[in-house]
Amino acid sequence: MNKFFDQNGEWHWFTGGLFVSILAMVTYVLFEALSYKSYPFGITAGYGFVAALFRHLFSSLSVNPVIHKFATVPAAFVEFFMLIGVALGGYTAAKSHKNYAPEVIPAVWEKYHGKNVWKRFLAVIFGGFFLGWGAALGSGCTTGNILQGWAHLSLGSIVAGASFFVTGIITAKLLYPKIGGEK
Amino acid sequence: MILKILVGIIAGFIFGYTLQRTGITKYPRVTGLLLLKDFKVLKFMLTAVTISMIGFYILSDLGAITLHPKSLDWGKLVGGLVFGAGMGLLGYCPGTMASRIGEGKKDAWIGALGMVLGILFFALNFNFFKSHFLASSINGDLAANLGIHHWILAPIAAIIFIGIIWLANKVDDSRKIF
Repeated sequence: MNKFFDQNGEWHWFTGGLFVSILAMVTYVLFEALSYKSYPFGITAGYGFVAALFRHLFSSLSVNPVIHKFATVPAAFVEFFMLIGVALGGYTAAKSHKNYAPEVIPAVWEKYHGKNVWKRFLAVIFGGFFLGWGAALGSGCTTGNILQGWAHLSLGSIVAGASFFVTGIITAKLLYPKIGGEK
Repeated sequence: MILKILVGIIAGFIFGYTLQRTGITKYPRVTGLLLLKDFKVLKFMLTAVTISMIGFYILSDLGAITLHPKSLDWGKLVGGLVFGAGMGLLGYCPGTMASRIGEGKKDAWIGALGMVLGILFFALNFNFFKSHFLASSINGDLAANLGIHHWILAPIAAIIFIGIIWLANKVDDSRKIF
């Protein structure tokens, strides 16, 4: 059993994959039974729910079809609390295994791009912007389009998921052109 | 209302806990995958995909669920390309970003803010995106499009996924970076 739960202190990829697949199947049945949505769990709509909160600041947003959708569909509401759950789960897992290590900049980033916080924040805010825009346009992120969409053998998700890697690989190579030579 | 909140938080908790314990939320992991140096995330994803694919088809045949494959439109391709660039810049995706917020990684908060702004950008320009990328679409059911039964396609897909996992595992055993 140890092999499945301790690979240098981490779970084996198979263990993680198995747990997520069980979660995906259980939530699909549950969500459909509770008629929250007719699609398994995703993450993007949770951020969409937050974006839709801006309608309270700018009332003209209320009539926007995208904002209206995120503001009214039960799935967005559930996924918002799922986001909170993910954060709590990450916190609990890290704390309970003594690898809770807060940081402002990832160590690898710091090694190659320096300690400048604003440089990292600039990359991250644009990165987040692209994630949100892309996930909204492509109707799903890694969770919705790969973990779920590929499991449904959805044509749309196969194209979306594969295209994540096209620009993802190019961007990562541009950011870290020198990685690979060292240990 | 309370039920929705509870279901969301519990499902999210299990997801976040699993992602963290499997090491998927580590910055070098997603970046390592995109640099084609560390395939753990890929092996993890394809394991989940393969098992749940079989499970979804069984559940659907039993009538327990209705499958809703996502249709193909230009938004999937263009949105996917935009999303990929974001994932490369961040080093994580929206789900792992939420877990990283919980893990005390401060830059993930800025990423989440960016993500909300990105969704607002899409919403504010929805008419443009709709007319250019979402106007026409193809049915998303791959098996139906190919005219074959899903129990013929699913094993083929499973073999492809397992083959990729096997290859990725061989490469991972032979080298480590970061």
